[in-house]
Amino acid sequence: MNLIKMLWMASFLWAGAALADPPPGYRFVGYDAGLKAARASGKPIFLYFGRYGCAWCDHTNKKTFSDAALKKLYTENYELVYVDAESGKRLTLPSGERITEAELGVRLQAFATPLFVYLTPQGDKIVQIPGFKTVQDFRDYDRYVRGGHYKQKTLLEFLDGKS
Amino acid sequence: MRAAALLLAVLAWPAQAAWEWGAPLTVNSVRGAAVFPHLESANRQGVAVSGDTVGVVWEDNRDRSPQCYLAMKPSAAANFQPEIRLSQADCYEPVVMALDAGRFVAAWEEAGRVHARVLPGGKALQLSKAEAVQITLAMRGNRVYAAWAEQAGRFRRIVVARLTLQGDALGVKTAQPVEAAMPSDEQGWPALAVAGDGSVTVAWEDRRSRHTVPMVSHSRDGHGFALPARLTDHKSGSVDGLGAGTGAMRPTLTAWGEQGLTAVWLDKRDFLSGYDVYAASDTGTRRFGKNIRVQDSFGDNMAQWHATVVGDASGRLVALWDDARDGTPDVWLADWDGKAFGDNETVPAASGPGAQSDPVATLDAAGFLHVVWLDRDEAAGTRIRYARAGWR
Repeated sequence: MNLIKMLWMASFLWAGAALADPPPGYRFVGYDAGLKAARASGKPIFLYFGRYGCAWCDHTNKKTFSDAALKKLYTENYELVYVDAESGKRLTLPSGERITEAELGVRLQAFATPLFVYLTPQGDKIVQIPGFKTVQDFRDYDRYVRGGHYKQKTLLEFLDGKS
Repeated sequence: MRAAALLLAVLAWPAQAAWEWGAPLTVNSVRGAAVFPHLESANRQGVAVSGDTVGVVWEDNRDRSPQCYLAMKPSAAANFQPEIRLSQADCYEPVVMALDAGRFVAAWEEAGRVHARVLPGGKALQLSKAEAVQITLAMRGNRVYAAWAEQAGRFRRIVVARLTLQGDALGVKTAQPVEAAMPSDEQGWPALAVAGDGSVTVAWEDRRSRHTVPMVSHSRDGHGFALPARLTDHKSGSVDGLGAGTGAMRPTLTAWGEQGLTAVWLDKRDFLSGYDVYAASDTGTRRFGKNIRVQDSFGDNMAQWHATVVGDASGRLVALWDDARDGTPDVWLADWDGKAFGDNETVPAASGPGAQSDPVATLDAAGFLHVVWLDRDEAAGTRIRYARAGWR
């Protein structure tokens, strides 16, 4: 590969990273693509509601999403969706309503980023969790969601009763 | 002594002026559980008053694709007339501005380009050659301006255009980016105002600092804009090497008084309680001053959304937004008292049970405040509602 091609590819990757702040190395996609993929695969959706330049998102990316086993767990078992809290990019809700990514924050009543939202493959909300979380937290949330415990218990009830 | 003071306060109470609201009206004629109207636009410019006619624009999907609509109501009419569809292809974020004698200019994004049209009559004109979104309008006298976010390389940048208007025909006299250099990150959501001295001010949200910052620039005549400056006086940056700074977004702008300008935006400097409404004013020096928090302390621990500001030549200035401090989303407003924004009040018909949100507003030449908002009902469909208030 010649130098110009490499520089072009590097600038392309940089541009993608600059538009939003998902953790590096994960296959996060936009809302519409993620919903379509989830309907096809039957996997639940892990929606990362972040903000461009958000310090706590950066902290979570570095401390938590850098864990290789967590990356494997979430990459293999979820459709990964990243939404930017201040973006005007458009998305279509399962209801058919077209809104912007920023407006999704209104609908989620988001008051801080990061906000992590687990959705069924049809796009229905299972649970949303704000703020910095550890690797173990995300492992617990995974068991709650993929274990189907959300059908009987709130997340707090599940976490209180976990062994 | 306390009793006397209390009596005086009670006696003085009726004399305090306040907004007196007329009966609310529904604007949109088509509703349904799967029809979703939106009042979103750059500078939240969804209502205007021309002569004695109110014009409201919005986007909805009644025709199975997003299309833009205008509904008008002459003051003599009891209700809004059936809406006019403005667009043919997918349409987003329409705005409307008053001309004279019941005429308006509407502008919108359609098929990835921005367009404008004089109504009634007039033909739609494509304003941008390149892909462009988020158009807004401003005028003073016979000078009409538009601003939008236009693709320039990898990112969008802000373009300001001087439009010509002859009868009901619009044209583009000049269109130029605020900055000649290619953008280094995304710019969008411009707000435009022409002050009493004829100078043109544009504010927008800008990501060159790797987080979202409202920026502003002035031009004496709509050509040659000054170096952009931050609207926010909050020095946001990375914390312990993490992130790039707190966000602030969706600036809106109004001209008011003889020379004044005020900007209002959503600001996350207090990052644990959602966005707050902040304002800054330029008294005529073409420098925006200290940032002022608009919502009162009852709204402090609550996220505010969809903020906007309207002013008029007499010096009246009103900020509006929605928040759910009373349990469900309501439309709130605060009047500028010369030193600060006053106590927050709801728009009566846009408060109470249910979700009332997304206000757009304007002040007419007689000082009446016109407010339009969304009244959501998942089963029956969302209504676009309108109410007018006089200061009594």
